[in-house]
Amino acid sequence: MTGDGETRKRRVDQGLRRVLLVFAWLALLASTSSAALAPPENIKAFDTPNDAGGSNTITWKASPDDSLLLGYSVKRSAKPEGPFEEAGVVLKGQEEYRDGELKDGQKYFYRVDARIIGDSASSAVAGPAVPSAQWFNLGRVNILAFIMLFAGVVLWYIARAKKGAKLFIRRIAGLDAVEEAVGRSTEMGRPLMFIPGLLSIDDVTTLAALTILGRVARKAAEYDTPVLVPCTDPLVMTTAQEIVKQSYSEAGRPDAYREGNISYLTYDQFGYAAGCDGMMLREKPGAVFLQGYFYAESLILAETGHSIGAIQIAGTTAVDQLPFFVTACDYTLIGEEMYAASSYLTREPIMLGTLKGEDLIKLLIVLALTVGVVLETFGKHWIQALFQ
Amino acid sequence: MNWTLIGIWIGALLTLCIYSFLYKDNPFYKFAEHVYVGISAGYLLAQDYWVQLRPNLFLPLWNDYAQGQVHFGFIPAHWYLFIPGILGLLVFTIFIPKVSWMFRYTLAFTVGVFSGLAITAELSARVLPQIGGTLRPLLELQNGHISPWGTFCNLFLVVGVLATLIYFFFSKEHKGFIGAGAKLGVWYLMVAFGAAFGYTVMARISLLIGRMQFLLGDWLHLMR
Amino acid sequence: MMKREIPLLITFLTGLLMVVQFFVPHRPIGQIGTGVLSWYTIIAGFTLLLGIDSLVGMHLKKLQRKQSGWGYSIMLILGLLLALGLGIFSEIKYGSALAFGSPFMYLYTYMMVPLQATMFSLLAFFIASAAYRAFRARTLEASLLLVAAMIVMLGRVPLGAAIWGKFPILAEWIMTVPNAAATRGILIGVALGGLAMSLRILLGIERTYLS
Repeated sequence: MTGDGETRKRRVDQGLRRVLLVFAWLALLASTSSAALAPPENIKAFDTPNDAGGSNTITWKASPDDSLLLGYSVKRSAKPEGPFEEAGVVLKGQEEYRDGELKDGQKYFYRVDARIIGDSASSAVAGPAVPSAQWFNLGRVNILAFIMLFAGVVLWYIARAKKGAKLFIRRIAGLDAVEEAVGRSTEMGRPLMFIPGLLSIDDVTTLAALTILGRVARKAAEYDTPVLVPCTDPLVMTTAQEIVKQSYSEAGRPDAYREGNISYLTYDQFGYAAGCDGMMLREKPGAVFLQGYFYAESLILAETGHSIGAIQIAGTTAVDQLPFFVTACDYTLIGEEMYAASSYLTREPIMLGTLKGEDLIKLLIVLALTVGVVLETFGKHWIQALFQ
Repeated sequence: MNWTLIGIWIGALLTLCIYSFLYKDNPFYKFAEHVYVGISAGYLLAQDYWVQLRPNLFLPLWNDYAQGQVHFGFIPAHWYLFIPGILGLLVFTIFIPKVSWMFRYTLAFTVGVFSGLAITAELSARVLPQIGGTLRPLLELQNGHISPWGTFCNLFLVVGVLATLIYFFFSKEHKGFIGAGAKLGVWYLMVAFGAAFGYTVMARISLLIGRMQFLLGDWLHLMR
Repeated sequence: MMKREIPLLITFLTGLLMVVQFFVPHRPIGQIGTGVLSWYTIIAGFTLLLGIDSLVGMHLKKLQRKQSGWGYSIMLILGLLLALGLGIFSEIKYGSALAFGSPFMYLYTYMMVPLQATMFSLLAFFIASAAYRAFRARTLEASLLLVAAMIVMLGRVPLGAAIWGKFPILAEWIMTVPNAAATRGILIGVALGGLAMSLRILLGIERTYLS
């Protein structure tokens, strides 16, 4: 072979090798692509439990290639053979999808596609799943059981109280101080001030505060001491007016009632605080009752009350504000003590009966916690399951 | 006219009037207080109409009539909105002594609704989660071994919850075992109150810093 | 009957309905809760007018009788009328009272916001004065309160970590263990108390609000 022929042959060999290399690379790529993507497994489709209907839930086991995926596409069809339309998309790592706005009673079939760019792998078809509404939310059985237990215990104690059983209630310092506070204001010739918190009549804490107002107003009427009640809510204002009027009537002093003493200021939180502060500085009450639900303005009110030398009795269920009342006021009703006030101040057997019922439930909770933590230590979650 | 500059001056002067309260009650504070109560009442009244009554009551009924969405020629599609409307109007019977008792219907509806909601809400959002969260194992495991610190923390937490619950027992005198438990509960409460107090101090100081930045920066341009 | 028994019945039935709708998802019962809550928005809208009437009435009376501070009552009424007037003007000119750049929002930005923020900032002074009074370790309980507050306060600032590196850790522990324990106890008690109070109201045992 001549030198030119050998060069030509070498070039052809090189060219052929390059072509073969490209084909080999393409073949490798194709083989890798078609074998890589595994579909999700164990797909299940069922009616979403404990809902108002119109919804199915689809669950699956993540694809073995989950870390490579973009996500999963959930496809829906009225027939098992299709055609399928996309119901929704979830990110990789997810194993559940809730398909909503469906028609109750209609059958739906689902499949889940694992997706990467340019490729996907479909699971088997699951179904039929038929959405329907449930009449009872089984997930809330424990709450219903608790309500029945609580109501049962309370009603039992009320029945006992009606039969004349003596029910004891321990001292609550803040409530014992009510008479002292009213007496002090009377001696100083100053009015009382009652601030019923920031929430409306729709809140149970405000209702508890108004119950305390009734007792305080009754005492004030007996001593002929005016009661000032600035309100942030008109419904609270109107209710407070009726309560104080009633209290004055019961005390035999209907003529001493002044509607103008119970007034509306503003619904704005700090506008209310500014108005109450102004009222405190000008009227200089001998006693200030801060009873109800408060927010950040609690300390402003309590400190201003302290600055005028008033005796202060606070009570709130707002856990965040309790520290400020405890530090700034003379007496503080902590949380539940506020709710106990109506029973404590009236001493009516029926009211005491409900308090006794509460205590029994608390005792059961203490026992459940004690037994529960011991069981948790041994890995038994029976008590924990009751409170899920 | 530079309305922004005027606004900043108004804001700054009102700020100083409120701060004068720290010295004592004075005409400046009284002025700011009364202005605040007045404009906030007016602002909320305007907002009340545009945000609450108009979109939820007046507009749906108006649109029903305007678009002919009525049954039997006069009952609007949103007929049920008349119920809260009537309950709202009953509130004004308070001005007529003879029929002022009708206000109680609105009150009864409101109180009934929220008392019913409170029963389930208190249980589902407070009681059950709080109890569930307290149920921890007395022995905390870490990498297969008992963690003394984790165990101590769990025990401290559980004992604290139990002691606080015992403090709130009303139908037994705080004597003997109950008394000891209640005393421990009070100690936990005091630590909690102190902690909450200390936790909020910095947040409150930052509010003052914000107002100082407004006065010294935006108003007097003494700082950037 | 109309004045007492029917309101009590309304309270009982509406309360019972709200409890039932919590457990029954099926339409229309499951949707009642949301609907009724929107009704309350409408009722609350009417009640605000009652409050304004009381506020204005009280200050007009003060003005008429030239009682002490009647000049400030004029300020209050003028403020109220200004806010209302600007609201109506903004609605007409800008399409919405809450439109960006409207006079109503100008009032909010340059009067309401500074007043709110300033009142809020007063807490910085009051928290200092409350702390000065309260942090006197006269009893064991007061000492516990003082020590816990000091540790948490120092644990949340760089100065605390500079004084002792363990302050932040101790502060974190106090917040997550004893504080959490006491808070849990209070919350459980409050919830049970609220539950009992709600039950008393539904059963008509608690009737103070119907005086």
